[in-house]
Amino acid sequence: MLAMPTPVIVPDTNEETDIDLPWQVVVWNDPVNTMSYVVYVFRKLFGYDETKATELMLQVHHEGRSIVSDGPREKAEIDCFRLHNHGLWATIEK
Amino acid sequence: MGHHREVSHFKTTRKGIVVSFSPEERSFLGDVLPLLSGIGETGVDPAATRLNVPVYLDDHDASDEWWRLMGQDLRAARTSDRSAFSRAISAEAKALDDEDANAVLRVLNEARLVLGARMGVEIEEDHERLPDDSRQVLDYLGWIQEELTLELSRML
Repeated sequence: MLAMPTPVIVPDTNEETDIDLPWQVVVWNDPVNTMSYVVYVFRKLFGYDETKATELMLQVHHEGRSIVSDGPREKAEIDCFRLHNHGLWATIEK
Repeated sequence: MGHHREVSHFKTTRKGIVVSFSPEERSFLGDVLPLLSGIGETGVDPAATRLNVPVYLDDHDASDEWWRLMGQDLRAARTSDRSAFSRAISAEAKALDDEDANAVLRVLNEARLVLGARMGVEIEEDHERLPDDSRQVLDYLGWIQEELTLELSRML
Protein backbone atom coordinates (compact mmCIF):
# COMPACT_ATOMS: atom_id res chain seq x y z
CA MET A 1 0.00 0.00 0.00
CA LEU A 2 1.89 3.35 0.61
CA ALA A 3 4.94 5.14 1.98
CA MET A 4 4.61 8.18 4.23
CA PRO A 5 1.62 10.49 4.73
CA THR A 6 2.24 14.08 3.76
CA PRO A 7 1.31 16.56 6.49
CA VAL A 8 -2.06 18.14 5.88
CA ILE A 9 -2.10 21.94 6.01
CA VAL A 10 -5.21 23.00 7.83
CA PRO A 11 -6.12 26.69 7.66
CA ASP A 12 -6.58 28.49 10.95
CA THR A 13 -10.18 28.40 12.06
CA ASN A 14 -11.81 30.30 14.90
CA GLU A 15 -13.25 28.70 18.01
CA GLU A 16 -16.90 28.87 16.89
CA THR A 17 -16.45 26.96 13.64
CA ASP A 18 -14.25 24.45 15.49
CA ILE A 19 -17.24 23.40 17.56
CA ASP A 20 -19.45 22.83 14.53
CA LEU A 21 -17.04 20.75 12.48
CA PRO A 22 -16.90 17.04 13.28
CA TRP A 23 -13.50 15.44 13.66
CA GLN A 24 -12.57 12.89 11.05
CA VAL A 25 -10.54 9.72 11.49
CA VAL A 26 -8.33 8.96 8.49
CA VAL A 27 -6.70 5.62 7.71
CA TRP A 28 -3.55 5.78 5.57
CA ASN A 29 -2.15 3.31 3.10
CA ASP A 30 0.56 1.01 4.39
CA PRO A 31 2.85 -1.39 2.52
CA VAL A 32 2.38 -4.27 4.97
CA ASN A 33 -1.26 -4.43 6.08
CA THR A 34 -3.27 -6.78 3.89
CA MET A 35 -6.53 -5.90 2.17
CA SER A 36 -8.56 -8.64 3.83
CA TYR A 37 -7.29 -7.67 7.29
CA VAL A 38 -8.15 -3.99 6.74
CA VAL A 39 -11.66 -4.94 5.58
CA TYR A 40 -12.09 -7.17 8.64
CA VAL A 41 -10.98 -4.39 11.02
CA PHE A 42 -13.36 -1.84 9.45
CA ARG A 43 -16.25 -4.30 9.77
CA LYS A 44 -15.41 -5.29 13.31
CA LEU A 45 -14.72 -1.82 14.72
CA PHE A 46 -17.39 0.20 12.93
CA GLY A 47 -20.00 -2.40 12.05
CA TYR A 48 -19.78 -1.64 8.33
CA ASP A 49 -21.07 -4.31 5.98
CA GLU A 50 -18.59 -6.03 3.70
CA THR A 51 -19.41 -3.78 0.73
CA LYS A 52 -18.87 -0.53 2.64
CA ALA A 53 -15.71 -1.83 4.36
CA THR A 54 -14.30 -2.97 1.01
CA GLU A 55 -15.04 0.44 -0.56
CA LEU A 56 -13.14 2.20 2.22
CA MET A 57 -10.23 -0.25 1.99
CA LEU A 58 -10.00 0.25 -1.78
CA GLN A 59 -10.03 4.01 -1.31
CA VAL A 60 -7.10 3.68 1.10
CA HIS A 61 -5.33 1.41 -1.36
CA HIS A 62 -5.84 3.56 -4.45
CA GLU A 63 -5.98 7.10 -3.07
CA GLY A 64 -3.64 6.65 -0.13
CA ARG A 65 -6.18 7.51 2.56
CA SER A 66 -9.83 7.30 3.52
CA ILE A 67 -12.05 8.86 6.17
CA VAL A 68 -13.43 5.90 8.11
CA SER A 69 -15.34 7.61 10.91
CA ASP A 70 -16.21 11.04 12.26
CA GLY A 71 -17.85 12.72 15.21
CA PRO A 72 -16.97 14.66 18.35
CA ARG A 73 -13.29 14.85 19.23
CA GLU A 74 -13.54 12.30 22.06
CA LYS A 75 -15.09 9.70 19.74
CA ALA A 76 -12.49 10.39 17.05
CA GLU A 77 -9.70 9.91 19.58
CA ILE A 78 -11.12 6.60 20.75
CA ASP A 79 -11.70 5.36 17.19
CA CYS A 80 -8.10 6.33 16.45
CA PHE A 81 -7.00 4.30 19.48
CA ARG A 82 -8.97 1.24 18.33
CA LEU A 83 -7.42 1.47 14.86
CA HIS A 84 -3.90 1.82 16.27
CA ASN A 85 -4.60 -1.14 18.53
CA HIS A 86 -5.20 -3.13 15.34
CA GLY A 87 -2.00 -1.84 13.75
CA LEU A 88 -3.70 0.50 11.30
CA TRP A 89 -2.16 3.87 10.53
CA ALA A 90 -4.83 6.33 11.68
CA THR A 91 -4.81 10.10 12.16
CA ILE A 92 -7.37 12.70 13.25
CA GLU A 93 -8.27 15.91 11.43
CA LYS A 94 -11.09 18.39 10.85
CA MET B 1 7.27 -23.94 7.82
CA GLY B 2 7.53 -22.56 4.34
CA HIS B 3 5.35 -25.24 2.82
CA HIS B 4 1.78 -24.08 2.48
CA ARG B 5 -0.74 -26.67 3.56
CA GLU B 6 -4.13 -27.32 2.09
CA VAL B 7 -5.72 -27.28 5.53
CA SER B 8 -5.92 -24.08 7.57
CA HIS B 9 -4.17 -23.77 10.92
CA PHE B 10 -7.49 -22.55 12.34
CA LYS B 11 -10.77 -24.39 12.52
CA THR B 12 -13.95 -23.06 14.06
CA THR B 13 -15.68 -25.57 16.32
CA ARG B 14 -18.39 -25.33 18.96
CA LYS B 15 -15.65 -24.82 21.57
CA GLY B 16 -14.02 -21.96 19.67
CA ILE B 17 -11.23 -21.74 17.13
CA VAL B 18 -8.96 -24.77 17.32
CA VAL B 19 -5.33 -23.99 16.46
CA SER B 20 -2.97 -26.56 14.97
CA PHE B 21 0.70 -25.76 14.51
CA SER B 22 3.58 -28.17 14.02
CA PRO B 23 6.35 -28.13 16.66
CA GLU B 24 8.57 -26.28 14.15
CA GLU B 25 5.90 -23.65 13.62
CA ARG B 26 5.35 -23.22 17.34
CA SER B 27 9.07 -22.75 17.83
CA PHE B 28 9.30 -20.23 14.99
CA LEU B 29 6.30 -18.25 16.23
CA GLY B 30 7.70 -18.28 19.76
CA ASP B 31 10.88 -16.66 18.44
CA VAL B 32 8.83 -13.83 16.94
CA LEU B 33 7.49 -12.64 20.31
CA PRO B 34 10.76 -11.24 21.76
CA LEU B 35 11.09 -9.11 18.62
CA LEU B 36 7.82 -7.42 19.53
CA SER B 37 8.48 -6.90 23.23
CA GLY B 38 11.87 -5.40 22.40
CA ILE B 39 10.66 -2.42 20.40
CA GLY B 40 13.10 0.48 20.77
CA GLU B 41 12.87 4.24 20.50
CA THR B 42 11.06 6.22 17.82
CA GLY B 43 13.60 7.50 15.32
CA VAL B 44 16.06 4.72 16.20
CA ASP B 45 14.02 1.54 15.71
CA PRO B 46 12.00 1.76 12.45
CA ALA B 47 9.36 -0.45 14.10
CA ALA B 48 8.80 2.16 16.80
CA THR B 49 8.68 4.91 14.20
CA ARG B 50 6.00 2.96 12.33
CA LEU B 51 3.91 2.18 15.42
CA ASN B 52 4.18 5.54 17.20
CA VAL B 53 3.08 7.80 14.35
CA PRO B 54 1.68 11.29 15.06
CA VAL B 55 -2.12 11.20 15.13
CA TYR B 56 -2.63 14.95 14.52
CA LEU B 57 -0.43 15.68 11.53
CA ASP B 58 -0.81 19.44 11.86
CA ASP B 59 -0.65 19.71 15.66
CA HIS B 60 2.35 18.27 17.49
CA ASP B 61 1.04 19.25 20.93
CA ALA B 62 -2.29 17.50 20.36
CA SER B 63 -0.42 14.45 19.06
CA ASP B 64 1.83 14.34 22.11
CA GLU B 65 -1.24 14.70 24.34
CA TRP B 66 -3.01 11.80 22.56
CA TRP B 67 0.04 9.58 23.03
CA ARG B 68 0.32 10.68 26.67
CA LEU B 69 -3.31 9.66 27.24
CA MET B 70 -3.48 6.56 25.04
CA GLY B 71 0.09 5.29 24.75
CA GLN B 72 0.13 3.38 28.00
CA ASP B 73 -3.20 1.65 27.30
CA LEU B 74 -2.00 0.79 23.82
CA ARG B 75 1.20 -0.78 25.14
CA ALA B 76 -0.76 -2.66 27.83
CA ALA B 77 -3.18 -3.99 25.20
CA ARG B 78 -0.25 -5.16 23.06
CA THR B 79 1.36 -6.91 26.02
CA SER B 80 -1.91 -8.66 26.83
CA ASP B 81 -2.30 -9.69 23.16
CA ARG B 82 1.17 -11.23 23.22
CA SER B 83 0.25 -13.31 26.28
CA ALA B 84 -2.80 -14.64 24.43
CA PHE B 85 -0.58 -15.38 21.44
CA SER B 86 1.92 -17.19 23.63
CA ARG B 87 -0.85 -19.41 25.04
CA ALA B 88 -2.26 -20.06 21.57
CA ILE B 89 1.04 -21.37 20.18
CA SER B 90 1.83 -23.62 23.15
CA ALA B 91 1.54 -27.37 22.66
CA GLU B 92 -1.31 -27.45 25.20
CA ALA B 93 -3.29 -24.63 23.56
CA LYS B 94 -7.05 -24.66 24.17
CA ALA B 95 -9.59 -23.60 21.54
CA LEU B 96 -9.55 -19.81 21.23
CA ASP B 97 -12.53 -17.70 22.19
CA ASP B 98 -13.32 -14.63 20.11
CA GLU B 99 -11.23 -12.30 22.25
CA ASP B 100 -8.12 -14.48 22.18
CA ALA B 101 -8.48 -15.20 18.47
CA ASN B 102 -8.55 -11.46 17.80
CA ALA B 103 -5.50 -11.00 20.03
CA VAL B 104 -3.62 -13.63 17.99
CA LEU B 105 -4.68 -11.86 14.80
CA ARG B 106 -3.40 -8.50 16.08
CA VAL B 107 -0.05 -10.03 17.09
CA LEU B 108 0.40 -11.64 13.67
CA ASN B 109 -0.30 -8.28 12.08
CA GLU B 110 1.99 -6.43 14.47
CA ALA B 111 4.76 -8.95 13.80
CA ARG B 112 4.54 -8.23 10.08
CA LEU B 113 4.47 -4.46 10.70
CA VAL B 114 7.49 -4.60 12.99
CA LEU B 115 9.53 -6.96 10.80
CA GLY B 116 8.49 -5.14 7.63
CA ALA B 117 9.57 -1.78 9.08
CA ARG B 118 12.91 -3.18 10.21
CA MET B 119 13.47 -4.78 6.81
CA GLY B 120 12.89 -1.38 5.22
CA VAL B 121 9.58 -2.15 3.50
CA GLU B 122 8.21 1.30 2.67
CA ILE B 123 6.23 0.58 -0.46
CA GLU B 124 4.50 -2.60 -1.61
CA GLU B 125 7.12 -3.24 -4.29
CA ASP B 126 9.82 -3.43 -1.60
CA HIS B 127 8.53 -6.95 -0.79
CA GLU B 128 9.95 -8.18 -4.08
CA ARG B 129 13.37 -6.70 -3.30
CA LEU B 130 13.74 -8.45 0.05
CA PRO B 131 16.21 -11.32 0.44
CA ASP B 132 14.42 -14.67 0.12
CA ASP B 133 14.64 -15.57 3.81
CA SER B 134 13.20 -12.21 4.92
CA ARG B 135 10.39 -12.41 2.41
CA GLN B 136 9.57 -15.98 3.42
CA VAL B 137 9.17 -14.92 7.05
CA LEU B 138 6.78 -12.10 6.12
CA ASP B 139 4.91 -14.37 3.69
CA TYR B 140 4.55 -17.15 6.24
CA LEU B 141 3.17 -14.78 8.90
CA GLY B 142 0.94 -13.17 6.26
CA TRP B 143 -0.40 -16.54 5.23
CA ILE B 144 -1.34 -17.53 8.80
CA GLN B 145 -2.84 -14.10 9.35
CA GLU B 146 -4.92 -14.51 6.20
CA GLU B 147 -6.27 -17.86 7.40
CA LEU B 148 -7.30 -16.41 10.75
CA THR B 149 -8.79 -13.27 9.16
CA LEU B 150 -10.90 -15.51 6.97
CA GLU B 151 -12.05 -17.60 9.92
CA LEU B 152 -12.96 -14.54 12.01
CA SER B 153 -14.63 -12.74 9.09
CA ARG B 154 -17.08 -15.63 8.82
CA MET B 155 -18.25 -14.96 12.35
CA LEU B 156 -18.98 -11.25 11.88
